[in-house]
Amino acid sequence: MSDDLRDRLARLDPMSADVPVEPVTSETSRRLLEKVMSTQLKDRSASRRSTRSAWALPAAAVAALVIAIGGVIGLGISSDDGPTAATLELNAPAEDMMASCIMFSPEDLARVADIAFEGTVTSLNGSTVTLSVDTWFKGGDYTEVMLDAPLGMEALIGGIPFEAGSQYLISAQAGTVNYCGFSGPSTPEYRAAFQRAFGG
Amino acid sequence: MVRPADEINRFEQIASEVFEPLQRYLLRRASRQDAEDALSEVLLTVWRRLEDIPQDRALPWCYGVARRTLANQRRGQRRGLRLVEKLHSEPIRHHVDLSVGDGDPDLEAALQSLDGADREILRLWAWEQLEPREIATVMGLTVNAATLRLSRARKRLAEQLSRQDSRPAGHKRVKGTKEHRDE
Repeated sequence: MSDDLRDRLARLDPMSADVPVEPVTSETSRRLLEKVMSTQLKDRSASRRSTRSAWALPAAAVAALVIAIGGVIGLGISSDDGPTAATLELNAPAEDMMASCIMFSPEDLARVADIAFEGTVTSLNGSTVTLSVDTWFKGGDYTEVMLDAPLGMEALIGGIPFEAGSQYLISAQAGTVNYCGFSGPSTPEYRAAFQRAFGG
Repeated sequence: MVRPADEINRFEQIASEVFEPLQRYLLRRASRQDAEDALSEVLLTVWRRLEDIPQDRALPWCYGVARRTLANQRRGQRRGLRLVEKLHSEPIRHHVDLSVGDGDPDLEAALQSLDGADREILRLWAWEQLEPREIATVMGLTVNAATLRLSRARKRLAEQLSRQDSRPAGHKRVKGTKEHRDE
């Protein structure tokens, strides 16, 4: 029964194996791979910058278009295929999207956040951090949130030192999630500030 | 920093393995131009992060990078259009027309009625032919969570299909007829 369903779904595949794609051995493909391999890896941040300019990657365009709100650092909200009832996905910024921080206050937190929750890290997988939500303070009812760092964990760790099993308070504004003191590891004081900000 | 020969070999090996399936993955979900941009970006990520790629799951790992790359593109495009993005905004429409192929309108309708995450899990399962462990790698889930979500998505799809089958004849075609036709 289930295999029937899988086969039936597979027949809807618009890119099934009989649709040709560029073979890895073609001249175009070789050129692309050579270009990738000629990318310098001096240090991580330098290689990022050089590859961006060389390839005009979409990530660079995103970085340029993001507007940091009041100096708060942006995490784009990715609905990917549309938000689900259970999982919210948030993307970490490229490092060069990080701006200077403003002073933290519960009033400012309330002002810059339309999403706020406390969650426990359930997995750190590649560039993705998954949190199981313990408390929603504002703006959602998701049970799980995924934070995704398109350029790797460094970008996330640059803002918040995520560890599996630890609790974090995260705030976000539509299209922008906030670092710089507006999200971080849970402490009783910090939680109290979130509660004060959102009247919880 | 220059990569030693064994790392260059590893990159070549991974690139040969993922190059064609990645194109399929991307073209199922994005326009040709976006797919090409994303392919370059995924390969660059493979090159930069060779050390992070699991030995036995290079392809699902790359699908995961591709998934996030497409999500970034969509976000960038949406921002470029100055749309205000909201949490509960309309899902971004897919470029791939699901009505291609031999046609299975009942299944297409059932698939479209599911939410985006269910649909994506089912596509990874049936189009990329991934097992829960690999789906977990792509979506950054635990294997347990991926297994559970796949099973729920299959159940929801089956429920949708049986709901359609119970509609009056003439409105929807009966499921069995198309399956025989494909044989």
